Amino acid sequence: MKFNHLVLQSPRRLALPISMYPGLALTGAKVSDIVTNPQAQLAAQAAIRQRYQSPFVLCAMDLSAEAEAFGCTIAVSDSEVPTVTGRLITSQEQADKLAVPQPGDRRTGVYLEAVRLLRQMPGQPFVFAGCIGPFSLAARLVGVSEAMELTIAEPELMHTLLEKCTVFLTNYLKAFRAAGAHGVIMAEPAAGLLSPRGLSAYSSAYVKRLAAEVGDESFNIVLHNCAAKLLHLPAILETGLKAFHFGAPMDIVAALGKVAPDVILCGNLDPAGVFVQMPPAEITVKAAQLLTATTAHRNFVLSSGCDLPPNAPLASLDAFYAALKQANAAAH
Amino acid sequence: MIELKQLHEAILNGDAKTAKAVTEQALAAGHEPLKLVQEYMMPAMNEVGRRFECNEYFVPELLLAARAMKAALELLRPLLAAKGNQPVGRVALGTVKGDLHDIGKNLVGAMLEGGGYEVIDLGVNVTPEQFIAAIKDKKANIVAMSALLTTTMPSMKTTIDAMKAAGVRDQVKIIVGGAPITEKFALEIGADGFSESAAGAVSAAHKAVNG
Repeated sequence: MKFNHLVLQSPRRLALPISMYPGLALTGAKVSDIVTNPQAQLAAQAAIRQRYQSPFVLCAMDLSAEAEAFGCTIAVSDSEVPTVTGRLITSQEQADKLAVPQPGDRRTGVYLEAVRLLRQMPGQPFVFAGCIGPFSLAARLVGVSEAMELTIAEPELMHTLLEKCTVFLTNYLKAFRAAGAHGVIMAEPAAGLLSPRGLSAYSSAYVKRLAAEVGDESFNIVLHNCAAKLLHLPAILETGLKAFHFGAPMDIVAALGKVAPDVILCGNLDPAGVFVQMPPAEITVKAAQLLTATTAHRNFVLSSGCDLPPNAPLASLDAFYAALKQANAAAH
Repeated sequence: MIELKQLHEAILNGDAKTAKAVTEQALAAGHEPLKLVQEYMMPAMNEVGRRFECNEYFVPELLLAARAMKAALELLRPLLAAKGNQPVGRVALGTVKGDLHDIGKNLVGAMLEGGGYEVIDLGVNVTPEQFIAAIKDKKANIVAMSALLTTTMPSMKTTIDAMKAAGVRDQVKIIVGGAPITEKFALEIGADGFSESAAGAVSAAHKAVNG
């Protein structure tokens, strides 16, 4: 099943909010359950799907699982998405010796199993797995702040880590595909903090290689970058991918004017500023404004600019979908 | 003959080694520490901030420039203190309790140091008690709090309330920032200043202190 075909041939505007955690309000689970228990992910996605009738289901966005598989320590809580703590790698020698884990190691197994379960859901939804991008993973291994400096001060160290991260992620994506995922949303937020030239060298080059190895023709990779701005777009398009998901810093309307009509762009309502902090009525207005601004673009999918935080009220998601429903009703 | 412009250039280029070497040579040649800071280092960081704001520089360039600035400042700070030259202000900086993200905090710290402030970096997951201790023990007159997560934003108000309870709120100006933080939120929790960017943190601090 091709994501791009599904979007471009859909008679209705589509939405793909990154919304695993709001499902907790429907199932009563905790964040710590979601990130450790595939059944909890299935239950949350089933509840979300039943409420909004979305054609898509997805794994939780948890950008610590892959780093943990490499050996990083993480902090897990009942109410917040896990975070990597400390630095696993502090020298070239450590980078050289770093072993590449296998898909399924540590909590990456939770996400592979979550995909298998989501694939068995009734109604045959389009199943997106979730994973981190190569630069963002390398940055977690070495420290995000430190990684920024190392891209200029010690590029060899970063490229050593990127090679290993790319090997792991290639295998991880193949494992997702084998588990039944139709595609993956690959989150590469740290790359959006680099210059366009840095993003090209430290992210796009590796994503391109990885995608070629996995085979985008049969497996849909949606590259998410919630920090990228319009000036990063040409460097991001160097990946050769056909679907992207952007955050609030991206001028999504301008970006739609710069990509080919068969390239899908998803985005980009601010998860914190809109979904957490705005009252529902304003959220509906915001979402409606974005749908209106993108009416001419069949290749646009309405979404949150990043994963919705665990404390995003369900009423916010209701308001978001209300705008979609109104727009589709008005068009038909 | 020392070419002091090299100090300015070294900071702009994020070259800590050269920044330190030129500072050492300048001091050995008898140049005034305050002159080095005011005429070469602060203008360099101002230029870094300008380039960052207009997308000529990005996070890596900014952090490296800050590292170069810090390398030179470490040599100069004891000499400045011995001569009675005080920093513009002393900032207790930290990411609030429950939040382990540090990049925004580090960017703000870099820009504040470049703006002439002394920065006491308390790190991440900073408790209200740690902020209060920095005010009491290290004589911080500004508190700068960062949060990336919507779930940790309330820690900012908890910290301000704890400062009030400890009787130190009126001794400091408080500035806040971070991805989910808005000016409205800053006003609601009783902060004195807000910035939505690292470069803007310096003017937010100036404004909070000078009114």
